[in-house]
Amino acid sequence: MASLVQVENLEKRFGEVRALDRVSFAIDAGEWIAIMGPSGSGKTSLINILGGLDQPTGGRVVVDGQDISRLGERDLTRYRSEKIGFVFQQFHLVPYLTAVENVMLAQYFHSITDEKEAAEALKRVGLGDRLDHVPAQLSGGEQQRVAIARALINHPKLILADEPTGNLDEANEAVILELLRELHASGHTILVVTHSPAIGNLADRRVELEHGRLARIHVPSIAKD
Amino acid sequence: MHTRSMFLRILWKLLGASRGRLTVALIALASGAAVCSALLNVNLDAEKKLTQEFRTFGANVVIAPPVTGGDAALADASVMDQIAAQHDPRIVSRIIAATPFLYVAANSGSQPVILAGTLFDQLSKMNSWWKLQGNWVSSGGDREQCLAGVAAARQLGLAPGSRVEMRSGGRTISLDVAGIVTTGGAEDNQIFTRLDLAQGLAGLPGKLSLVQLSVSGTTAEIEEVTRSLASAATGLEVRPVRQIAAAEGSILGRIHGLIFWTIALILALSMLGVLASMAALAMERSRDVGLMKALGGPVSRIMHLFLAEAGALGVLGGTIGFFAGAVLARWIGGRVFGVEVSPRLVILPVTVALTMLVALAGAFPLRLLGRVRPAEILRGE
Repeated sequence: MASLVQVENLEKRFGEVRALDRVSFAIDAGEWIAIMGPSGSGKTSLINILGGLDQPTGGRVVVDGQDISRLGERDLTRYRSEKIGFVFQQFHLVPYLTAVENVMLAQYFHSITDEKEAAEALKRVGLGDRLDHVPAQLSGGEQQRVAIARALINHPKLILADEPTGNLDEANEAVILELLRELHASGHTILVVTHSPAIGNLADRRVELEHGRLARIHVPSIAKD
Repeated sequence: MHTRSMFLRILWKLLGASRGRLTVALIALASGAAVCSALLNVNLDAEKKLTQEFRTFGANVVIAPPVTGGDAALADASVMDQIAAQHDPRIVSRIIAATPFLYVAANSGSQPVILAGTLFDQLSKMNSWWKLQGNWVSSGGDREQCLAGVAAARQLGLAPGSRVEMRSGGRTISLDVAGIVTTGGAEDNQIFTRLDLAQGLAGLPGKLSLVQLSVSGTTAEIEEVTRSLASAATGLEVRPVRQIAAAEGSILGRIHGLIFWTIALILALSMLGVLASMAALAMERSRDVGLMKALGGPVSRIMHLFLAEAGALGVLGGTIGFFAGAVLARWIGGRVFGVEVSPRLVILPVTVALTMLVALAGAFPLRLLGRVRPAEILRGE
């Protein structure tokens, strides 16, 4: 199977600090990858570069055949709207828009909005009765489900989730993990940054970073065997 | 759904969010717009009122025969009929008064004096500011009355109620002095009597030295009247009195300038008020902008949203300000210019457009949001 994402000798420096140091790996389409490592290991830098929010200092990142390390600001914006679905630890919903409008916002920046489709996406994550609620009227778990619906609405090639359960209690964490499992089962390619070994064990592979370097790639199913 | 509908939907929500800061910006805009609207309304009505008042301060157009040789040429009195025969209502309405004069070199005793024959009803309309001691002479009054200029009265020893005898070319008339006028000009040396009496004394029936007119309006409007009269009064020169027209233009120009700079200053102060609110708003909105950029929102599209928000505030502030300014204009008009100012709808689009520009200029901090780096904002930096 051809790789959806190829990371080759990726480097990211902030002055003298090397956040990423010659990191290389690949992600196949439909794969679930967990990026793990201690704080300062380069996880956030990696996900920002993969998401087109930041650009590398060196190396190459190819996503769906497109070398994003060479894209200008305008092309990176288009790349984010067309190929990436973000799920953030802090949910990052627009506070004055309702749940359905938050999902439609992603449609608005992608192409045209379709309220029915947005409502349908919210129903799929179990929020059919929360369409017109603003984030302040939703629990943390519900807000994260809105964020997942928003991430999926434009059918992205790659879902990037940064500590998606980091701000949730156990019950809500279970709901979100179940949603991620369903997404994986339906063929979505998912990259999750997490500290949680439980989430790491659900992934097809764990990419572990230490001091900006690739420490090891772990396959939980093999370890279990 | 069409993207425009979503644009309006987000814009509506933006206006509902951050109400406190937006209200402060709206108050700043509406206050500036109110003063702007009031001054623009006052400007229009005050100009009208001032040009009317200027017209009580003497002639600004003169019709006279061209000067040929040493002798003063005379005009035919039919020129008064030609002035009265003007049909264009714009011309007719601008002629406040038309005062004919026949100047006669006469003697009172051994003293030479200029006798000016005129129509007193027109003379009073044009020179209501003349200082009068005694009584005015009405056109329908006694044939033998006169007004004496203060210098002539002093020279001839005249006072209200005294009698003066005037001689010219072997003819003599006796006039009762109704009043003494002080004008501060050449008229102080003259004696004024009815036109037909002067014509009789000079033996020049139906003749005039000149006609002085008081014409209201701007310089361009006065010139329009001048052209119309020139085409009617053939053989005569019709010319504006440049010094008076220039003085009026200068005063009006200064008032316009004062109002213009006041409006500019007020709008600049409003912009500072908006700027302060928008700077705080930009801080609040930076997270939203970072998120929108992360979701693939082009900078131009995101900025359109925030600038439309500022523009909408400008339209709302301008409209509120226009109506508040109309009330303020009535008050200023009455207190300062003694004129009733009627609000004009033409000021509405001007006020709204100016306020919108101020709002957009004041929204400069929101433009800086275009530089927000989403990765930093989403990390909470």
